[in-house]
Amino acid sequence: MEEFITLAHGSGGRKTSELIGNLFKKYFANDYLTADDAAVLPGLSGRIAMTTDGFIVSPCEFPGGNIGKLSICGTVNDLACMGAKPTYLTCSFVIEEGFPVAKLEEIAAAMAKTAKEAGVSIVAGDTKVAGRGQVDGVFITTTGVGLIEEGADLSGAYAKPGDAILVTGDVGRHGTTILLARDEYGIEADVTSDCAPLWGTVKSMLDETKDIHVLRDATRGGVGTVLYEIAEESGVGITINEAVIPVDPAVAGVCGMLGLEPLYLACEGRLVVFAPKEKAEALLTVLRQGKYSESAAIIGEVTDDHKGRVVVRTPIGSETLLPPPGGELLPRIC
Amino acid sequence: MCVGLPAKIVSMKNGTAVVDATGARREISTELLDNVEPGDFVMVHAGIAIAKITADDQEETKSLMDALEA
Amino acid sequence: MDTRALDIIRGYNGRPIRVMEVCGTHTHAIFKFGIRNILPDNIKLISGPGCPVCVTETGFIDEAIYLAMEKGVTITTFGDLVRVPGTEMNLAGARAKGAKLKIVYTPLDAALYAKDHPDEKVVFLSVGFETTVPAACLAVKKAKEWGVSNFSLLTANKTMDEAYRVLKGSADAFLYPGHVSAISGMGILRELRDEGISGVVCGFTADEILTALAIIVKKIEKGEPFAENAYPRVVADDGAPIARKLIAETMQPCEATWRGIGTIPGSGLELNSEYEAFDARKVYDVPEMHGHPNKACRCGDVLMGRIKPHECPVFGKVCTPEHPIGACMVSSEGTCSAYYKYDLG
Repeated sequence: MEEFITLAHGSGGRKTSELIGNLFKKYFANDYLTADDAAVLPGLSGRIAMTTDGFIVSPCEFPGGNIGKLSICGTVNDLACMGAKPTYLTCSFVIEEGFPVAKLEEIAAAMAKTAKEAGVSIVAGDTKVAGRGQVDGVFITTTGVGLIEEGADLSGAYAKPGDAILVTGDVGRHGTTILLARDEYGIEADVTSDCAPLWGTVKSMLDETKDIHVLRDATRGGVGTVLYEIAEESGVGITINEAVIPVDPAVAGVCGMLGLEPLYLACEGRLVVFAPKEKAEALLTVLRQGKYSESAAIIGEVTDDHKGRVVVRTPIGSETLLPPPGGELLPRIC
Repeated sequence: MCVGLPAKIVSMKNGTAVVDATGARREISTELLDNVEPGDFVMVHAGIAIAKITADDQEETKSLMDALEA
Repeated sequence: MDTRALDIIRGYNGRPIRVMEVCGTHTHAIFKFGIRNILPDNIKLISGPGCPVCVTETGFIDEAIYLAMEKGVTITTFGDLVRVPGTEMNLAGARAKGAKLKIVYTPLDAALYAKDHPDEKVVFLSVGFETTVPAACLAVKKAKEWGVSNFSLLTANKTMDEAYRVLKGSADAFLYPGHVSAISGMGILRELRDEGISGVVCGFTADEILTALAIIVKKIEKGEPFAENAYPRVVADDGAPIARKLIAETMQPCEATWRGIGTIPGSGLELNSEYEAFDARKVYDVPEMHGHPNKACRCGDVLMGRIKPHECPVFGKVCTPEHPIGACMVSSEGTCSAYYKYDLG
């Protein structure tokens, strides 16, 4: 018989212990995850990065992943963007009454697998159950700490004129995948989410050179939003070359049908990298050998002029502004 | 006023067709056109094929420029 | 790369030419490709009223909100209309207050939705020019065939033929909208040529736009009025006769009010008597609504090419794509939106 989450699972009683014991502990087991009120951890020597992120996604499973994988990747990638090796992570679930236990198990399994790949231990957690309709399926919040790699010094404020800008892969795939998975517009395409843990990608770049100024993962709002953020935070101008931005043809096709811009669709496994121009080719070579960054490309450069703006060099050799980010993405006919 | 997307007809049935635009597929209406078949390219707007496409834009602009300069 | 078109455009040294791109998709494409920035000073592009969202009156949004809030209707619409301001609020605001709003890719899906949800009253917001109207016509025709009685259209459709005449004199030549012409064909444009109105039907790639501009330059140098087809791979000389027949079967011309331009007789399309059971205004007895657009907004002058967006007092200050005051800032085709998003100046 199919099992469902009930309010009793969140009561703190026997059902709660069962859920934690049979499901979460089974997948997340490690030396630090105990029944105590808090995880007791060995010290980390060096600079530490810490971050937290909440995840809601509808539908909670999609080609290329599920909300569990996403919840690990999101936090791990935020740490990685500061040059930090993800070390410890906590997770908090809010589950809707009636959610299938089997589905929750798939989510936990994906979290465990992704955490293992990222080299991070899930050391503490919390489970709450909300009444039907109060949440949509399951919401997950993860918090992580990581140890910053010696010599890495990264910030959104560090982009400098003369930097090259790279993306670690084709853009807009996660956003397109979710759009298609919702099946609101009758469009089909073979697109899978780019959702991936990127510490390995970051480590390979830092092993090549510590002379990297900015790393940022392009999640909600996509690469376009990241470019505007960095232009603003660093007080620089950005010029990108439209012709070389990697976009999967099927993503471009979906965007064409709905009048959307791939640069503004979410990614969950793509970094935008700012590094001195003379380091760009070496970084590109390293990235193209990585399993999550084979389609990496150098897409533009940082400039002294047009501060705070992102200019696009078009295929006919003219220049135009990248439309600034904003608003709900709506399909359009005009 | 009207965004159009070029797409290739993959299959046809009863006035509808499945079209493919570089890997994105959707069912559309072909009832407004009487001369299309699978393999043809059509211009799609708001879920209907509004025209058959007879060439790509490079061929078209080249012959227009040839004619203009002749 | 074939640079002949660009060479002709850049080499032009005659009197200043004003070209109006009538179609909002052209406005958008011209900005996206950065075409304005490579034109010489003596060729000016001005943006015309060819965005169905931008020329839609405030009162139309008010009618849609009335249907949703007072009559409990499910509104189906293209995404474009969701943020267009009505007098009190836009459709997104109405949704937040409980209105049922469904965004569709095609009106055919709206009709199907009505068929699948017989307990709901479904209205499709039918805006658009010749290109878009056939899809709405097909939707009501299907609904009638299926015996679906819970589906109707709230119409604010427009046609270009009379609008071109009203716009006569506002430019030396028009870039005619390629996809409208794909339906209406070249005949009307030759009639306009004989009335002294010149223009070239234009496609939507960078090369097609540059080629059409090169043809305009050459034809103006010759000095004769002209009507050329620079988009023959899509636009047949007689357009799309089946589509026109479908429109004639389901709709009839009516007077239409264009935001910023005013009333143009015969420039609208409404359902004819045979299809009046699918006319939302009649089905739900919608009272006449005029709407009160924000007075500071100068969308109208922008639409007629009389002022550039930054000459409007609210442009970029209180009127932005996130908080639009006028429709020209909402639609991604709108002239104000294009200037706001792409202008390097």
